[in-house]
Amino acid sequence: MTKILINNEPLEAEEGTTVLKAAQRAGIHIPHLCYHAAFPPEGSCRMCLVEIEGFPQLEMACSTVVKEDMKISTNSERVVEARKAVLEFLLAEHPLDCPICDKAGDCKLQDYYDEYGLFESQFKETKEKREKKLKIGKTLILDQERCILCTRCVRFLKEVTETQVLGVFHRGVHSSVNIYDGAAVVDNYTGNLAEICPVGAITDEDFRFKIRSWFLKEGESICPLCSRGCNIMIEYHPGFPRFEVPKRVYRIKARENPEVNGFWICDRGRYGYSYLGEGRADQIILNKIEGENVLTWENISEFLGEKIKSLSSAKKASGIALILHAWLSNEELFLLHKIFKDDLKVEKIFFADLPQGEADGYLLTSEPNPNRRGAQEIGFDIKTVDLGALADGTDFLLVFGPFLSGLFSLKDLEDALDKIKRKVLFSSYSNEMNSLFDIVVPVALIAEKEGSLTNVDGIVQSFQPALEPPGESVPEWKALSDLGRELGTDSKFFEKFRSPEKILSEMGKRIPFFKKRND
Amino acid sequence: MREKVLTEHFGLENLYKIDVYQKQGGYRATEKALEKMKPEDILEQVKKANLRGRGGAGFPAGVKWSFVPPTDKPKYLCVNADEGEPGTFKDRYIMSHNPHMLIEGIIITSFCVGINSAYIYIRGEYEAIALRLEQAISEAYGKGFLGKNILESGFDLDVFVHRGAGAYICGEETALLESLEGKRGNPRLKPPFPASVGLWQCPTVINNVETISNISHIILNGAEWFVKQGLPKDGGTRIFGVSGMVKNPGIYELPLGTRLKDIIFKHAGGMKEGKKLKAVIPGGMSAPILTADEISIKMDFDSLVEVNSMLGSAAIIVIDDKTSILDVLKVVTKFYSHESCGQCTPCRIGNSWINKIVKRIAEGEGKKEDIDSILRLASNIEGNTLCPLGDAAAMPILSITKKFRKELESHL
Repeated sequence: MTKILINNEPLEAEEGTTVLKAAQRAGIHIPHLCYHAAFPPEGSCRMCLVEIEGFPQLEMACSTVVKEDMKISTNSERVVEARKAVLEFLLAEHPLDCPICDKAGDCKLQDYYDEYGLFESQFKETKEKREKKLKIGKTLILDQERCILCTRCVRFLKEVTETQVLGVFHRGVHSSVNIYDGAAVVDNYTGNLAEICPVGAITDEDFRFKIRSWFLKEGESICPLCSRGCNIMIEYHPGFPRFEVPKRVYRIKARENPEVNGFWICDRGRYGYSYLGEGRADQIILNKIEGENVLTWENISEFLGEKIKSLSSAKKASGIALILHAWLSNEELFLLHKIFKDDLKVEKIFFADLPQGEADGYLLTSEPNPNRRGAQEIGFDIKTVDLGALADGTDFLLVFGPFLSGLFSLKDLEDALDKIKRKVLFSSYSNEMNSLFDIVVPVALIAEKEGSLTNVDGIVQSFQPALEPPGESVPEWKALSDLGRELGTDSKFFEKFRSPEKILSEMGKRIPFFKKRND
Repeated sequence: MREKVLTEHFGLENLYKIDVYQKQGGYRATEKALEKMKPEDILEQVKKANLRGRGGAGFPAGVKWSFVPPTDKPKYLCVNADEGEPGTFKDRYIMSHNPHMLIEGIIITSFCVGINSAYIYIRGEYEAIALRLEQAISEAYGKGFLGKNILESGFDLDVFVHRGAGAYICGEETALLESLEGKRGNPRLKPPFPASVGLWQCPTVINNVETISNISHIILNGAEWFVKQGLPKDGGTRIFGVSGMVKNPGIYELPLGTRLKDIIFKHAGGMKEGKKLKAVIPGGMSAPILTADEISIKMDFDSLVEVNSMLGSAAIIVIDDKTSILDVLKVVTKFYSHESCGQCTPCRIGNSWINKIVKRIAEGEGKKEDIDSILRLASNIEGNTLCPLGDAAAMPILSITKKFRKELESHL
């Protein structure tokens, strides 16, 4: 460790780290535009200038390495004046079209002006004219006038995707970021460019002009659209009384996790958020059930428990069939394993999942189901559904997830399910197949519940609800924990499980894999 | 009596040919260095000679070489022949008149530092000179001064000429490296310095043409002799390039410490008929301007620093009383605005902004607050940029505006 002083506060900084990082760790924010933790320091914006005792000039916090007893000031008059000057330069050639800029409210240039600027503009000259609406990729729009030439986008395409389709053209005040002739940003990571742009130079048509960013709320989650488990931030509109704006998810952003996704997410994860809203099941549906009382979330476990308890032991093992999917959390799969495999000795357990896809060589994996690794580690032998074997001698079928309909035709499913007396579906979506079940229970998606997932590399990541589940939807873990208690096969065991956190800690005691991952 | 060192034989016909050069004692320094000296002896001599960089910054060459760390990586020498500083035209004379003197310097420097590949980065406009250099290099290969096992010393060296594409910034050493690597010539963040991380991430020595051209003379005549040609802390002569309103513009090789007044009025023949001296830019356009009553100054690094200017590339631009200082400022600001690479904020926008103000003043639209704006903006560039170009622009702008404020105000 290196002892330094920032603003007269003694601090211990990691050896070899930079002033900016050391300050950040100590909670001292040093403004910066071109610096991004994903890349080596660029040193071009000059916002992070700090005063260091013994140095004649102001030094850049982003690239200056700490030395023993270094005395740094991040807020001296000289530093504040220099920041003001940099902002004055940047804003001189900036179009100041904040009212029609999508980045407003979310823009570092705005924030820093608010913090350090607040001067009257002295710029009386004519601003440079540049392209305002260059389409540079699938959904990306480049506004060269707003660009402050931090070159984060250029460096992203050089160092991350290695596609290098953007560059800085011309020089001096005429310098502009532009796309090479005939090229386009078309990789699977385009959305990151709009995200890392500190100003409104690169905006995303997927988001552009749909909502002002200050109306959005955000919640942390894990992307379930492949088995990487990228850490994400879900930005949604919770419904604002004075504005007629649809209540929905508007944007997904990357959340930094050096072990999993670094700073980035792929376009599939970023733009694929329609699954959170479209086609959702939000009510418990009872089909073909006569003489039963109306089921609600409170009594559904009781109802299912009674149906299962009425079966003989042998009938429990051979007459119950289960179809699962690898979108269930570790905790849910663990409870399912305990109830149906360990306690009831159910023989017919299948998985209905999305078919294998193609990996993109970076974050997107070929396994599109987020928790297949978790299912394996919990002890499931993952077999795909065999409709003949499924229906044979089955009285009671429990299906989790919507993917069965993707594997078979409705006709084939109908024929097979016809032979089964009692059928219950837990699904987040309403689709044609739902009518084949007696009971359809709407369930929460990963973004709407608590739990953990095991990614392709065996990293167990916990998540909290970012969004409210729609209507009557509930998380499966809750239904299963209730069901476990209801069945009474091991009531002491199930009594403990009032939260996913407790389930995961129990898993750690029973399954070595989850012990080490959970420490 | 002090003598001419670098330009001694410049008048000689066909000096650029190796035979003529050798008849004047050429390549004897190379023979001495490779056959009789160890690299550490050479370094010792160059350090003792107090040879300071002739490109502008004046950094001691021997100290620079000693910064090259021991390494298994290849090491490189880059000779900066970009000569982009306005008013500067000394290196072109050296390279066109006496290319072998430069090549000798390259060989000895490379032998000293342990370099096997050297590049001469020459400004694109110097096409004919680049061809002459290539011809001279090929002659040197022919005589065994370049290539494998030079003079049976076991030392190998290849020299390449690389032409720039026309950018002032590529004379900045790290931008030069980027350009040489085939990239856009943007300066790099320092540290690391090129001596440790330079061309292709390898240790690299970068020296100006004139600096390297002095090496053979130091080797032949010794460090003590070299120091005697100049000043104790500042060895050797200096080639002053005089341009502007003098009778005899051109290059003048003179001892360091020669008075500016004498250079203008004795050596360059004084002002042109009917012209009076108004101001002098003493070290290339980046050097802060001097007024007519400041010209008794001695022309060496330290003396110029004392009057808040700099020796820079020793290019003296003489300005007469008929020249409008507003025009001078217009040329200066247009140049830096045009040549700013655009990478860092203060230089990119500051220089363009100042140039826009100056142009507006020249169009008769000046406002009284403009002068203060120029001073404020230039001060905000100075010291706050990624590379020295920002300072190179701010220094002349500030000095011209401060020293000639009254004249500038008369245009408002």
